[in-house]
Amino acid sequence: MASRGLKKEETLAMRERLIGQSCRLFYSDDPVKIVRARGQYLFDENGKRYLDCISNVHHVGHCHPSITKAAVAQMDLLNTNTRFLHDNIVMYADRLAATLPDKLCVFYFVNSGSEANDLALRLARQYTQHEDVIVLDHAYHGHLVSLIDISPYKFRKLAGQKEWVHVAPLPDVYRGKFRENHPEPGQAYADAVKDLIEDVHRKGRKVSAIFVESLPSVGGQIILPEGYSSKVAEYVHSAGGVFVADEVQTGFGRVGSHFWAFQLQGEGFCPDIVTMGKPMGNGHPVACVATTVEIAGAFTANTVEYFNTFGGNPVSCAIGLAVLDVIEQEDLRGNAMRVGAHLKELFKKMQTRHELIGDVRGVGLFIGVELVTERGKKTPATKTAAHIIKRLKEEDLICVSTDGPWDNVLKLKPPMCFTVENAELVAQCFDRILTDMKANDLKLDKEDI
Amino acid sequence: MGRNADSNFSNFSYSVDYTRKGQQDIIMASRGLKKEETLAMRERLIGSEANDLALRLARQYTQHEDVIVLDHAYHGHLVSLIDISPYKFRKLAGQKEWVHVAPLPDVYRGKFRENHPEPGQAYADAVKDLIEDVHRKGRKVSAIFVESLPSVGGQIILPEGYSSKVAEYVHSAGGVFVADEVQTGFGRVGSHFWAFQLQGEGFCPDIVTMGKPMGNGHPVACVATTVEIAGAFTANTVEYFNTFGGNPVSCAIGLAVLDVIEQEDLRGNAMRVGAHLKELFKKMQTRHELIGDVRGVGLFIGVELVTERGKKTPATKTAAHIIKRLKEEDLICVSTDGPWDNVLKLKPPMCFTVENAELVAQCFDRILTDMKANDLKLDKEDI
Repeated sequence: MASRGLKKEETLAMRERLIGQSCRLFYSDDPVKIVRARGQYLFDENGKRYLDCISNVHHVGHCHPSITKAAVAQMDLLNTNTRFLHDNIVMYADRLAATLPDKLCVFYFVNSGSEANDLALRLARQYTQHEDVIVLDHAYHGHLVSLIDISPYKFRKLAGQKEWVHVAPLPDVYRGKFRENHPEPGQAYADAVKDLIEDVHRKGRKVSAIFVESLPSVGGQIILPEGYSSKVAEYVHSAGGVFVADEVQTGFGRVGSHFWAFQLQGEGFCPDIVTMGKPMGNGHPVACVATTVEIAGAFTANTVEYFNTFGGNPVSCAIGLAVLDVIEQEDLRGNAMRVGAHLKELFKKMQTRHELIGDVRGVGLFIGVELVTERGKKTPATKTAAHIIKRLKEEDLICVSTDGPWDNVLKLKPPMCFTVENAELVAQCFDRILTDMKANDLKLDKEDI
Repeated sequence: MGRNADSNFSNFSYSVDYTRKGQQDIIMASRGLKKEETLAMRERLIGSEANDLALRLARQYTQHEDVIVLDHAYHGHLVSLIDISPYKFRKLAGQKEWVHVAPLPDVYRGKFRENHPEPGQAYADAVKDLIEDVHRKGRKVSAIFVESLPSVGGQIILPEGYSSKVAEYVHSAGGVFVADEVQTGFGRVGSHFWAFQLQGEGFCPDIVTMGKPMGNGHPVACVATTVEIAGAFTANTVEYFNTFGGNPVSCAIGLAVLDVIEQEDLRGNAMRVGAHLKELFKKMQTRHELIGDVRGVGLFIGVELVTERGKKTPATKTAAHIIKRLKEEDLICVSTDGPWDNVLKLKPPMCFTVENAELVAQCFDRILTDMKANDLKLDKEDI
């Protein structure tokens, strides 16, 4: 069976030999071997317990007993494909529909966020009969060939930008084109999309969709400015395109106040296609595309079967249903609101004492702390950020990751059972490390890039 | 090399199938799959993801763009894979200029048939000609994708010698050979762990994609490739991260599947039951004109139905009628495939028994006999 208990060095050696090296490890100079987990805690092979601030995928907490129970029970009964009728998929779709605005009522089950975004692309193109796609700068929608093409985060380092892809400025009010001092950044960023669409038309091309991560994560834990999405949707719709909200990182109540992050943009806004993934199955591969009757109808009308071998299988749906139950029963959204607000508050307080903290932003348990060496120029403190997360892991057994185009944003998106005590510990340790660095006058980054 | 990396892993008798230099790498997923150099495995989520990654690997390694596929191939439902799946693109966005379609090596219905002295070579030569075409257009081949046993194409058994010749031609053009084992791997063919191994010890693909059976229903898939190809991919310096791929649960399941295949001698079972099932259908073929061809290996069998043996006119409606009756009257689920949906596709779970095989054959026989008795003709005799 699986747990043969290799020594860590052996595991690492086999990994280097057998697994493609593009698949990277966290803390690559001193990787962590995790053998067990529960809730918001990870345990290494020596029983050391780490606080996990990274695993938004394990939404309701690692190895939640209800999820395991539901999975095992269904695995023992049946796990076949969706060419046979079964209750789980329809019940699951029904429960998901209840969380979404009415018009998003047709579902396609897949297994990964990448598959979901790939299908969204197909749906948008079939429906609009247009080809081009608008994306935000630094976006990441998946690792498939089709999605690298629409992910500036990837294509800038790989095959480059295709002619059918158009990049709109990331609506980052801290570092972006229009900042907090702008009277209406939401409108200004949306106007940039409008201008881009006009560009597309001048080239004789047509927009099929705009893809927008509801809270751009790889771009640096960005909170979209007020009014942005509805204006953008208006412009894209006028051009005959559709709005795809990528909720793969952000869905299922992470923002606390709402089930879906796109709902932060107000009741007047509703996307045409929503893609969801990661947290859906608490670690089990489940993902989904939700869309309108019209868009689904256009896809059906191409008369070609859409079959996904594993998508929507009874086990995945049983797990998905169990996750929804736990979110409700344990009031995880309420928890995210309370703990998230507290964590953000703790970092904002630290911001008054540490020049390094350029910005603290977030909603619910989706928080970003942007580190800069110089507040005026907002020079990214990339090396410092790397140093801090290394120390947090080594000294405090806290796992945090960084992101943003300069990897200077501490990304906090822990399992939703994260507690106030956990938040206080993270803040305390971070404070201690920063204070220590100041005391030793430790400067890792140049002050100008 | 050649060491047992961990004495906890047991030896398997079938692992001597395919060895080079007599060395064996006995590491979980590489059991039964050995190469001169160690393999780089990339755990993936589903067969489609595996094939999409294979495409990326091939292009990165070769720095070429074009892909050769077999007619009626199906490699997955993603945008990138519809582009390389004639089964899909002929009904959707059409053929892209970087995609080239080689004739399906179907010795029953294809361009070169059983009466041809060397169909494997002939079909491989068609690939050679296609490559020359590609070059004349100023284009370059990055890969050929070949389902080891084309399934959607109609449960096709590749003719002898085909793959090594094709690999030779593709390699000369600077491309790589991708064996799609998503439908066929893990011992289904009985005699070997991988269906590509049916093509002989002299043949080894450059990239193997696997999926479906790996997790017994749980979404697991994988791409296996060489150190060189993996190295070229690593050299692009971009991280490859797959949220769910290779997670501990999927791997625990994958390991358990390998254990069961071994412990329950499912390959042996596939050989025995498969051979028996094929035999039963071949016997029926002598009594029912409708059965045009019976082909298969292990528990991967195709029974092609025709209204007229000479012209091989596909009996599409009849096939649909038969599987409907099998479900309604006998509670037997069978599907059809092939370009005209006239091939009964038998690929049951590997624990299928001799009794199951006899039941299927009996019921099929009864239905055919009944149709003949009622002179039931659903298909026209000429298309």
